[in-house]
Amino acid sequence: MAGSVMFLAAVLTPAVAASAAEPWWTPLGLRGVAIDAVSAAGKTVLVRTGSGTTMLSDDGGMTYAPVSGNPPIRPPAILRSGADGWAIDASGRVLHARGSGALTLDPASPELGASAHLLAAPAAFPGVVVAVAVDGVVWRRGQDGDWQRGLLLLPAGFPHGVPRITGAAAFTEPLSGTVYLGTDGYSVLSSTDGGDDWIRAGPGLPDSVLALTTDSSTHAVYAGTSDGLWVHHLRALPAPPAYHDAALVWRWVGIGLVSLVSALAGAALLLLALPRMRPA
Amino acid sequence: MIAPRDLRAAAWWPAALTLLLTTLALGGSLLVPLAFSDPNGVDPYVVRLSATSLLMLAAAYASRRLVGGRPVLLAIAAVTASFTLFSAGPQILFDLFKTAGTAQILWASLAQAAVTVGIAVAAVRLLPAELRPALRLGRFGWPAVVVSVAGVALLVLAGLALPAGLLGRDGIQPVAIARDMPWLGPACLLQAFAQEAQFRGMLMGGLERVMGRGWANLAQAGFFGLTHLAVSYQGPVGPFVPVTIAVGLALGWIAQRTRSLWPAVIIHAAGDIGITLAVLPGLYGF
Repeated sequence: MAGSVMFLAAVLTPAVAASAAEPWWTPLGLRGVAIDAVSAAGKTVLVRTGSGTTMLSDDGGMTYAPVSGNPPIRPPAILRSGADGWAIDASGRVLHARGSGALTLDPASPELGASAHLLAAPAAFPGVVVAVAVDGVVWRRGQDGDWQRGLLLLPAGFPHGVPRITGAAAFTEPLSGTVYLGTDGYSVLSSTDGGDDWIRAGPGLPDSVLALTTDSSTHAVYAGTSDGLWVHHLRALPAPPAYHDAALVWRWVGIGLVSLVSALAGAALLLLALPRMRPA
Repeated sequence: MIAPRDLRAAAWWPAALTLLLTTLALGGSLLVPLAFSDPNGVDPYVVRLSATSLLMLAAAYASRRLVGGRPVLLAIAAVTASFTLFSAGPQILFDLFKTAGTAQILWASLAQAAVTVGIAVAAVRLLPAELRPALRLGRFGWPAVVVSVAGVALLVLAGLALPAGLLGRDGIQPVAIARDMPWLGPACLLQAFAQEAQFRGMLMGGLERVMGRGWANLAQAGFFGLTHLAVSYQGPVGPFVPVTIAVGLALGWIAQRTRSLWPAVIIHAAGDIGITLAVLPGLYGF
């Protein structure tokens, strides 16, 4: 039932922005530079490079200027998504607040580990949360409050180990129910059903994604990678093709004729090529 | 009086030519409509592949001159017709019962296996004894057991050793697996059985009656690879065709050496289940 509701919400969600011609991920700048933290709000994009330099862009990521003092970029202590607030406490348990209420321990929260900090909650699916434990296990909370392991990454191949999960993000306005995971090895993985099913969602993106964030105002997902900052814009769902009935009929007639001609040509060539056989 | 040498020449040409010309006919039927057809998925390419192969099979039964091509055409009809039913099955079930879900894949796989068995039975009953394919379904001795276990172990090791980025073997989804595997596990087994019965059973077993085992294996493996291109021809699966040819060769060799189809079925099913368990979709566009 929850799956059906999510599917319906996903279909009805007003996705916008990118044109079909735009690549899934587009490089935004700082190519050749590792970006290990990013935050964005409208035209303001803040990044921190692998060498510890904090840079600010006020033109949507086109140009950057260093920020004096190189302040670190920290995620907000409480993730506000729709009417809910979510956080991970010092012991690694997930806290939940409804509306403006106080944070309380989510009853079935798993123990994520003391330094766990990656959390995503799509506003389009209230109650759904994806959290990453320090051992790399991805937990997902269903709308019924039940927590389950949603994803276990596999080793990248001998002798490499399991890629590190570097970011978790979702839109905190009800734009899309998709949850994104950044990984240092498998680029970006995404789930559109609250963390049950995952797909590889990083075409064009470097495999090494070091930071991930969303900006609801621009309908954008930003990925800090080993090769600069990249952006993905939410897309409108592809509209089903519309045909005039007559055109469709003639197209299908043509397809049928091709099959007929192919079969007849094959059989005729066989008849011409094969010698007469004696009855067995 | 025909000399034995001439008899052999007359025997292998029909099957080889039939395979070649049917492959070309299927290729034409698959590719020509791309020039004017709908690129968005309503193009019923599996239906016309079935129609082409069934029409050619009908022609082979209408003319005695095409007797030598009948085993090949029966095998190819089993491949295309059963895959068409498998592809359309979930939609047919939805239209009939208004239910959708992973269970439909199991029922569609069951239909695929049933059609394959039906055509295999027809091949055994309708073909003359000297052209009847060796299906190798009646034997499963200790060598077959050992090869099955070793093959599955080798497959798992190779799957883990190869770079995950190449295979898309990125992770395991416990919730989705618990939800889907009771249906998809048996579906993988049925699909593996159907495909092994089609390619290593009917096609290779039929070709072996008229040509050397190595040539028969090579021919079925080549066709096996090309069908994987046809099955998902709109996806970027071209680079995987050589891999599927190699897999087809290995499975054919195993079937020939063990004189049993079952090790190939088990290894094939293990591979499909492994893909279902550990490959996250999306990397190659599907």
